[in-house]
Amino acid sequence: MNDKKKILVVDDEESIHLLYKEELEEEGYSVQSAMNGEEALDLFEKIEPSLVILDINMPGMDGIEVLRKMKEQRPDIPVILSSAYPEYKQDLASWASDDYIVKSFNLDELKKSVKRHIK
Amino acid sequence: MPELRRDPIIGRWVIIAKERGKRPSDFIIEEEKTKGGFCPLCAGNEHTTPPEVLAYGRSNYAPDTPGWTLRVVPNKFPALVIEGELDKQGEGIYDKMNGIGAHEVIIETPRHNETLVQMSHDQLIQVFWAYRDRMIDLAKDMRFRYIMIFKNFGRAAGASLEHSHSQLIALPIVPQRIEEEIKGSRRYFDYKERCVYCDIIRQERSQNLRIVCENSQFIVICPYAPRAPFEMWLMPKNHQSSYLSMDNAQFHSLTDIFSEAMRRLNKALPRVPYNYMLHTAPIRSQQMEHYHWHIEIMPKLTMIAGFEWGTGFYINPTPPEESAKFLREIDLEA
Repeated sequence: MNDKKKILVVDDEESIHLLYKEELEEEGYSVQSAMNGEEALDLFEKIEPSLVILDINMPGMDGIEVLRKMKEQRPDIPVILSSAYPEYKQDLASWASDDYIVKSFNLDELKKSVKRHIK
Repeated sequence: MPELRRDPIIGRWVIIAKERGKRPSDFIIEEEKTKGGFCPLCAGNEHTTPPEVLAYGRSNYAPDTPGWTLRVVPNKFPALVIEGELDKQGEGIYDKMNGIGAHEVIIETPRHNETLVQMSHDQLIQVFWAYRDRMIDLAKDMRFRYIMIFKNFGRAAGASLEHSHSQLIALPIVPQRIEEEIKGSRRYFDYKERCVYCDIIRQERSQNLRIVCENSQFIVICPYAPRAPFEMWLMPKNHQSSYLSMDNAQFHSLTDIFSEAMRRLNKALPRVPYNYMLHTAPIRSQQMEHYHWHIEIMPKLTMIAGFEWGTGFYINPTPPEESAKFLREIDLEA
């Protein structure tokens, strides 16, 4: 039986998926990927992850819209917003998230946040 | 022919493109679809915000629970942080200090879709009380020198969340824009021994060209050199440099006139995105003879681009006389 905690990573950049997958699997998590909002909501319902890492700037449905839909469905599942743009912090819609991390190739801050919030 | 007009306080020039003379119907306001879904500001979701620093309306003392009519919370992801020392330093010719400040959000209503123009007098007056109460509290912190209150409404004006809210930022410095107003009004006062804002009110009342509405205590005008079409300034008629000097009757009067001005704007340009900013004297300053607190309301109808950034000039396609006339003649009962 696989009892690893599942993390859903939502991002439209392939390189981010590769980086997060490698680093988070090393920490003992199981990582699933979605490339856009629609796919993310579908997977979110199917796999009921222990935590979501969500990009904001994506084609189609943006991360904020995905966040609001996820939180409406399952407010108990923590969602960490991860964006290259710190200015989106000023967007109050991001408050629905449990944390906001500015993207960096050093994943220490992200890993700490995952540890703090994962259920 | 276009006209160059100079603001009498800070000396900013604007270009009034008179021949364009855009009326409200000429502006295309993109309809914003309500996105729905979870809202962190709604009643019942108090657990998703930082602990409140002020709430009105609850009959029991149970912070961060429903039952409130207005709530103020620190920003969950603040632009400036409250803990720490300023640690002012020079780096050669450059100056810097730690990013100390307070950043709070005033949640103006528990109801998700209620906008300012739909609010009852009793609901709206709480917004103005909350501004005062938070200013008084934050003014006790000696690190702060200015408290700026502002609102963004609509995506184009910087707000993506529909739930009605305004924001407060306490700063360790007086912002440059406020300094410019204070210095400009000081220069005018030194020359004429009168407050420039009081003189503007006097002239506007005698000319009656740019008045949108007024009551016994307040007046709303479209300023002579506005940066944007339908820009409005709301000012107390009697000289007052600080928002904190208002008495109870003035709060009621302010609520009435503000509501009227915003309803007129909303009727002319339904759901137009806008920003408003409360400009008042810096905290702990004595009453200033030359400065006059006011609220600047800026509908977001034009683009700020290279010319504006490069020159500091603004191009406005609607003369304020036309904006004011249009707003003044709106029938609010129809």
